[in-house]
Amino acid sequence: MAQDAAVQYEPVAEIGGGAYGTVYKARDRQSGQFVALKSVRVQTDQDGLPLSTVREVALLKRLEQFDHPNVVKLMDVCATLRTDHETKVTLVFEHVDQDLKTYLDKAPSPGLPASQIQDLMQQLMCGLAFLHSNCIIHRDLKPENILVTSRGQVKLADFGLARIYSCHMALTPVVVTLWYRAPEVLLQSTYATPVDIWSTGCIFAEMFRRKPLFCGESEVDQLGKIFEVIGLPTEEDWPTDVTLSQRNFSPFSNRPITDFVPEISHQGADLLLEMLTFDPLRRISALNALDHLYFQEG
Amino acid sequence: MIREDEFASAAATGNVEHVGMLLQDGVDVNAVNRFGRTPLQVMMMGNTAVARLLLENGANPNVSDHSTGTTPLHDAAREGFLDTVKLLIQFQADISVKDYRSRRPIDLAQENGHLNVVYFLESL
Ligand SMILES: Nc1ncnc2c1ncn2[C@@H]1O[C@H](COP(=O)(O)OP(=O)(O)O)[C@@H](O)[C@H]1O
Ligand SMILES: [Mg+2]
Repeated sequence: MAQDAAVQYEPVAEIGGGAYGTVYKARDRQSGQFVALKSVRVQTDQDGLPLSTVREVALLKRLEQFDHPNVVKLMDVCATLRTDHETKVTLVFEHVDQDLKTYLDKAPSPGLPASQIQDLMQQLMCGLAFLHSNCIIHRDLKPENILVTSRGQVKLADFGLARIYSCHMALTPVVVTLWYRAPEVLLQSTYATPVDIWSTGCIFAEMFRRKPLFCGESEVDQLGKIFEVIGLPTEEDWPTDVTLSQRNFSPFSNRPITDFVPEISHQGADLLLEMLTFDPLRRISALNALDHLYFQEG
Repeated sequence: MIREDEFASAAATGNVEHVGMLLQDGVDVNAVNRFGRTPLQVMMMGNTAVARLLLENGANPNVSDHSTGTTPLHDAAREGFLDTVKLLIQFQADISVKDYRSRRPIDLAQENGHLNVVYFLESL
C-alpha cells in the first residue's frame, strides 16, 4: 500500500458521504486526471489493520487484475495512520465524469433508441455477472452509481466496500435507495445477489420511461407500488421469515408490463418480467439474463 | 456544509435542480469551495445542463486549477465530452490556454483518443 494519498491526490469537491466514509472528486497531481477517493476510518490495534479490512482490500485488488471493462478501476489503495487506534484507508478509483442519470436526462426526446438501451443493459449485466461470480453483491444499484463514459462505456461504481459475503449469508437489512429496492429487502427477509437484478430491472424500465418505475415514499408504500404492477404474490410465495403479512396489501392482479413500459419490445418485456420476479430464487441471474433472446434482437 | 461547498458538490454530482435552487437563492456562481475551486471547475463534465446553467449565470470558464493549471476546457476535452467543450467555447473559453505542463485542451483530447473533440477544436 502506498503511504500518502494526500501528496498525490488533491480533493476538489465532496461527491458522497455514506455510512462508512466520504467520497471526494480529486485530482491526481501527476497525471492531471480526476480520481474518486473513498476513505474509510478503521480501528487499529498493535497488530495493525483488522483482518476483515485486509481481506476486503485484497479481494478488491484481486478483482482489479481481471481489468473488467464494466466496473470502475481501482487505481491505488493508501493507508495513513491517524492515531494509535485509527487508520484511514483510502481507495483511489478512476473517476468517470457522467452517471446514467445524467446520460438519460440529456438524451434528446423521445429518449434513447432501443439499440442503445440494449447495449447499456448488456454492459450493465456483464459488470453485474462479474461481481456476482466473485461473490460481491452491489446492494445499491441506482442510476447515480452507474457511470457512463463519453464513449458510452458503462462502469459500475460504489461496490467498493460492499460487504463480502460467503455466498448464502443473511445480511443486515439496510442499503439500497427505496425506489430500486427488491421486495425481499423491503420485507427485511434474507437476501443475496438477486437484489441487484431487481434494481437493474427497475433501471431497465426507467431507460424506456425516462422516469423511475416505482417511486414509493416508505417501505410499505414501495411494496404497494410494486404489487400494482406485478400483482400481489400468493400466500405460498410470501416469505415465511417476515413480520409484514401479505394480507396488508390490496389484492392487485398483475397488469401487462407494457402498460407501464410502452416502448419495450416483446423480448425486452419478457426479460424485464424475469428480472421483476417477486421470488428471488426464481428471479433470473445475471449470467442467464445475458443469454436471453432480448440481447439477440437487432 | 457551508453553501459554497454545497454548491460545488451539487455541480460535481450533476444535480441540476439543486444547482438551480442555489443560484436562485443568490449564491455567487464563482465562489470557491473549501478546496478553492468554483462549481464550474468541479462540475460533472458530462452534464451539459449543469454546465449551461452555470455559464448562463456568469460562471468564468477561464479559471484554472491552482495546482495543475488545468481549465474546465482541458477537463472536458480530456474526458471527451464534446457537448460541454462546445458550450464552454460558446461562453468564451480560451482554446489556446496551456496547463502547467504546457498542454492545450486539444493535446489532452488527442492523448486520450477523443478524435471528435480534436476535429472540432481544429476546425475553429
Ligand atoms: N469512480 C467514480 N467516478 C465518478 N463518480 C463517482 C465514482 N464513485 C462514486 N461516484 C459518485 O459519488 C457518489 C457517491 O459515491 P458512492 O461511492 O456511491 O458512495 P456512498 O453511496 O457511500 O456515498 C455516487 O453516487 C457517484 O455519483
Ligand atoms: Mg452510493
